[in-house]
Amino acid sequence: MDTFGSLVSIDEDLSYHVHYRMEASCLELALEGERLCKMGDYPAGVSFFEAAIQVGTEDLQVLSAIYSQLGNAYFHLHDYAKALEFHHHDLTLTRTIGDQLGEAKASGNLANTLKVLGRFDEAVVCCQRHLDIAMNMFDKVGQARALYNFGNVYHAKGKSICWSGAEPGEFPEDVMTALRKAAEYYQGNLSIVKELGDRAAQGRTYGNLGNTHYLLGNFRNAVVSHEQRLQIAKEFGDRSAERRAYCNLGNAYIFLGEFDVAADNYKRTLQLARQLKDRAVEAQACYSLGNTYTLLQDYERAIDYHLKHLIIAQDLNDRIGEGRACWSLGNAHTALGNHDQAMHFAEKHLEISKETGDRSGELTARM
Amino acid sequence: GEVESSALSPHIVHSEGGQMDPETMETKTLTDYFSKLQMGSVTSKQ
Repeated sequence: MDTFGSLVSIDEDLSYHVHYRMEASCLELALEGERLCKMGDYPAGVSFFEAAIQVGTEDLQVLSAIYSQLGNAYFHLHDYAKALEFHHHDLTLTRTIGDQLGEAKASGNLANTLKVLGRFDEAVVCCQRHLDIAMNMFDKVGQARALYNFGNVYHAKGKSICWSGAEPGEFPEDVMTALRKAAEYYQGNLSIVKELGDRAAQGRTYGNLGNTHYLLGNFRNAVVSHEQRLQIAKEFGDRSAERRAYCNLGNAYIFLGEFDVAADNYKRTLQLARQLKDRAVEAQACYSLGNTYTLLQDYERAIDYHLKHLIIAQDLNDRIGEGRACWSLGNAHTALGNHDQAMHFAEKHLEISKETGDRSGELTARM
Repeated sequence: GEVESSALSPHIVHSEGGQMDPETMETKTLTDYFSKLQMGSVTSKQ
């Protein structure tokens, strides 16, 4: 071999070596990011994925997996602008390389992110793309997931335009239309996931369908769905889902006027919130129980639960919660004829309403 | 002293229209990608 030939060979060896090292290093960093995210350490996972991107890779499937996981990590960290950025990169990349399955997944993730950002029309387009690809590929799992996302987008859209003062079932027509669409998509999803025997997916859909029926004012249907959600949560030992189902059941029974049953469900919520050591949910359950006993005209018990709510709200430095507790305590003491106590809590409520800028609370307190 | 349910209902549930089940995010893991690649190379060798 002449000198020139050997130089070219050395150059090629070096380039191969650098390229090999780069790919290996990018992979090592990305695999560590993946491991950290699986453990739930998203901030650390993000750092490793970002470093992997800095090093770079020529394997576009690897790059797609990194973009997608970075998007999901930012989604879990509630940094939705960043999540949107990376899921968008993933969508562009998968389209460029003609990876249909990858494009469907990127579209699903974009839809979820756009939904959280309140960009419902764009989210609907992404859901449709996800669904179209899944149907073209005869991918039943993908179809079901796209329909679930569709339901969530319409549910969120309906809720975002709800009248703040209106009650479930009495919202304007555009809200009701969005909620009806959500229910249709959830039903579509259910027929597929039942066929697939996917109980976990059924559980999620029943939960959200129950909330949709509730907002539509179909409280009996809401109860049926939440009972299904509860049963599936128990099958999986998923206590957070169980807790949510009890709370949602309690809310539906309130609107059905079955206050005793509502109280039983809120008590199970409280029990689970304590087991899960979730103080904010514990406070919420106490508040709901206080209000339910007020409706049952059992003011002594109402006061007991409102005081429990007040103590937790104070511990959590939740001034709005504290204000609500004081307002409720004022009402319950008035009902019992404890005028001094009623006055004490009314004054406290007024003071907190002024501080938090709650104008309606302030006006109520002055009454 | 009696409190009507209609007056309380917007406040009572305190859950902003129900507690939702989470979004399902699609996953693309490197572990899955490499297992598929390995499976492919094993199949092609056979």
